[in-house]
Amino acid sequence: MSAAVMEQPAQTLARAAQGDQDSFSELIEPLLDPAYRLAAVMLADRGAAEDAVQEASVKAWRKLRQLRGDATSLRPWFLSIVANECRMARRTRWWSVIKVADVDAQDRAQPESYSDLHRALLRLSPDDRLPLVLHFYLDLPLDEVARALRVSPSAAKSRIYRSAKRLRADLTMDEVF
Amino acid sequence: MSNENFRRELNRAFDGMAGQPSPTLSGRIRSAIARPTAARSYYWIAAAAACVIAALIVGVLFVANPLHRPTSNVGVPLPSPSASPSASPSPSPSPSPSPSPSASPTPSTAAFQCATTYGPVTQSGPVTAYVSNVATGAHAGYDRITITFGNGAPTSVEVQTQNNATFTKDPSGQSVTLAGDHGLLVTIRGADAHTTYSGSTDFKTGYTKLLEAQQVQDYEGVVQWGIGLSGSTCYRVYLLKGPDRVVIDAQTGT
Repeated sequence: MSAAVMEQPAQTLARAAQGDQDSFSELIEPLLDPAYRLAAVMLADRGAAEDAVQEASVKAWRKLRQLRGDATSLRPWFLSIVANECRMARRTRWWSVIKVADVDAQDRAQPESYSDLHRALLRLSPDDRLPLVLHFYLDLPLDEVARALRVSPSAAKSRIYRSAKRLRADLTMDEVF
Repeated sequence: MSNENFRRELNRAFDGMAGQPSPTLSGRIRSAIARPTAARSYYWIAAAAACVIAALIVGVLFVANPLHRPTSNVGVPLPSPSASPSASPSPSPSPSPSPSPSASPTPSTAAFQCATTYGPVTQSGPVTAYVSNVATGAHAGYDRITITFGNGAPTSVEVQTQNNATFTKDPSGQSVTLAGDHGLLVTIRGADAHTTYSGSTDFKTGYTKLLEAQQVQDYEGVVQWGIGLSGSTCYRVYLLKGPDRVVIDAQTGT
């Protein structure tokens, strides 16, 4: 890959950091799909997930100057904002009450279509789902999972394994990684 | 279950939970990003407007000072033309006692006026109000003289400024020059200062602005006090009740 191609995201990032909305949109749009999937799994609500991604995007736009590192840091940084936005959304009391009811209703409404793993996944807390989504669903490398979780790579690995074991107790480390 | 099987089954479950994002999500986010800039400008306008309103409220409260407004102040500055005192020869200095303490607590927050005359302001009272006490005092921002009456308020009070400190004593016609280079002549009608008042008629104060106050007339129901000032000044007049008194403040620092 040529140096010119390598420099392009960095220049786009620099322009975005200076307030260029088009450059920011160019950077953020490829991340919207993984961000949405992360939020949808954490919140178990698609509409709320889109709201969380939208709010996270606005916050990322406002705080882009706080991004440390190069353009490759953008994805874990943005996903960590999305995860945080999901936590904030769930912390609101009325929201949490509705969410629990929704999940239970979904569980009861479609019992046949859900696998045991799916049901086990729904029983996990959102914070336990997060490392699984990042590692398995979004297929992020371990160092990016760690940056999105804002922990060390070894701590990230531990959290992924611990969450996976909650889904299936007989899982070994080799089966997870 | 192998790693691949576990991953496949897990991702299928995740897919079932997530589905696909709405095609409009990208557009929503673009507009949401564009919106805060405009919104922030409105916040600035609102914040600036709030600051202006707050400043106005503070200013109004500061000027009006509702918590300290005198409730017994019956006089208001009413400048009106009137004769100015004339200077004449033959000074007649008189002995003066040391200044007495300041007047009883009175409001001190009315605006000073710089007009050449105050009043005459008339008020109801007995045929003759007897002066019972005269006192001077120095305060932060002003020097004060208070003339108190024992049996009611005098019928009118008038104050005139002058560019010298020389006054004419009445009825003798003699002139007297007080300390200072400017003066205030206080004319109180419907009063006398000899029936019940036996205190000093000349105060050499040593204050910064009000240097000397001397009674220059007590005749046929008219009492006049000359006030010697250091430089021209703005002043304010209160006609207060409980007891009835005339309070004159000469602004310092002008």
